[in-house]
Amino acid sequence: MATAHEPCAIVGFGQTKHKKRRDDLSLPGLVREAAERALDDAGMTWSDIEAVVIGKAPDPFEGVMMPELSLADALAAVGKPMMRVHTAGSVGGSTSIVASSLIMGRRHQRVLTVAYEKQSEGNAQWGLAGGRSGGMGAGGIFAPWMRSYIRGSGAPEHIGWKVAVKDRLNAVKNPYAHLQLPDITIEKVKESPMLWEPIHFLESCPSSDGAAAMVLTDEEGGRAASKPPAWVLGTAMRSELGSFPGRDTVRPQAGVECAEMLYKEVGITNPREQIDVAELYVPFSWYEPMWLEGHDIAGPGEGWKMVDSGETEITGSFPVNPSGGVLSSNPIGASGMLRFGEAAQQVRGQAGEHQVPGAKVALAQAYGGAAQYFAMWVVSSELQPSLS
Amino acid sequence: MTDTAGNATTTSGDEPVTMMEYFMQLEYSDVVSAPVMRFRDALMDARLIAQQCPKCKLVYVPPKGYCPIDTVELDERNEIQLADRGVVTNYTVVTPVQYYGQKETEPFVRASILLDPPGGMLILQDVLDIPVAEVRAGMRVEAVWAPKGERDVDEIGNRSGSALEGSLRGFRPTGEPDMPAEAFSDKVW
Ligand SMILES: [Zn+2]
Repeated sequence: MATAHEPCAIVGFGQTKHKKRRDDLSLPGLVREAAERALDDAGMTWSDIEAVVIGKAPDPFEGVMMPELSLADALAAVGKPMMRVHTAGSVGGSTSIVASSLIMGRRHQRVLTVAYEKQSEGNAQWGLAGGRSGGMGAGGIFAPWMRSYIRGSGAPEHIGWKVAVKDRLNAVKNPYAHLQLPDITIEKVKESPMLWEPIHFLESCPSSDGAAAMVLTDEEGGRAASKPPAWVLGTAMRSELGSFPGRDTVRPQAGVECAEMLYKEVGITNPREQIDVAELYVPFSWYEPMWLEGHDIAGPGEGWKMVDSGETEITGSFPVNPSGGVLSSNPIGASGMLRFGEAAQQVRGQAGEHQVPGAKVALAQAYGGAAQYFAMWVVSSELQPSLS
Repeated sequence: MTDTAGNATTTSGDEPVTMMEYFMQLEYSDVVSAPVMRFRDALMDARLIAQQCPKCKLVYVPPKGYCPIDTVELDERNEIQLADRGVVTNYTVVTPVQYYGQKETEPFVRASILLDPPGGMLILQDVLDIPVAEVRAGMRVEAVWAPKGERDVDEIGNRSGSALEGSLRGFRPTGEPDMPAEAFSDKVW
């Protein structure tokens, strides 16, 4: 792997306890809780940070416009470079990538990145509908595409239920996860109310308050870190129009090319074999097999078979979302960064009870808008791992 | 105590107020583009028009004034008349969330309609005159236009997309035999 750029290390990660309503915290308090935990994990203080990169989903979700301005104080960013990233639901991933680019481009040596959503202080459904009646929510937009996937791949309907159960049982191993449903069963998912046919209530993500944060450094910072760092082996972002005639909404071209670009940069030729664990943005159960295929981890029509055979369980050969994923915690703006940070925690060996034993190479992905914005990275415990 | 939407913010007299709802509003004038003005005029006349890119042949409903794929400008010379009949290629049944401003109370359908030749896709359309449970991909449908005196296109701006219910109420089944859904697997959006 040729690295003309500065190597980038993740040396600290922090997240809030995600909940339906964190009314014990203000918005500044929420981002500060995650940021302080990331700094503690990195063994740093606020004054060590040179720049801050912040992201969240569209401002109408809380009705606080350009919140990066008012949050600068809480993040000790006054007088420091601060940048805001906007890419809808994929923003937590894009924000992480922008932060890493400030390191790789040798602009800064220590960068703090934060992403959040406080869904209880707003109304995402109202925001998505622009205040108009007849809003469909994200699920209403994605539901027909899932039906197209089911029809095209011949997947049996229990695949969606299975993903819903797996991610919630994984979340029981993650004390930060919002939903704690140790008694969930396939039967309960199947019997839960239908929200957007074919998506049941228990196949959907919750609305959460929460934040995530990471401290990123250059190579020197990574080598000096007190805990093992995660090295960023490659990053990729791609986008496409949300609507045009003939658009492939099941396997969007931007997602295919994003993965292709990433694998090429990292030197991955067989993602299913060379990647040890993945954190993918799965807000509705069917998106697990859809992204396995949409990012060429599985061949066409093969993604649901990986789910069915248990390959994506923590104990399987390709674990997906050991943290419980977006299906268990969805502070929208932070959800992408949680994927990126959880992937880092896995290769740092810091994932706690949901650690995949011996994980060396991890993939993280986030998507947003009408499945039109994509952000992905691959992190590793080694700067130059042998990808076998 | 009530908020600006008139909703109670407390459930009982002895519970402390922890949150109050306020709605933000931003009013602005949208200068409607020439192709959308022509689209609105056609709707008032119970007609659907579109623009077809001469390069890629894709059909844009509503017309955009350009093809974003080929980055070529489109104008009246690229305008085509569309059929107001077609086939449901995909759909979902939405259980309405009761946010402020939501008028829907019962599950409703939003369908993608592939119009008959010369083609064109209309997304997020209501399907009328049939129980929601009976809507299916492959079903033949025809437009249900608002009566002439009741048609209203004032809400249609440059970013309204396919929300046309002031003039085109939705689509209803024609009763013709279904078409095979597999034929439309690439025309769902
Ligand atoms: Zn074109």
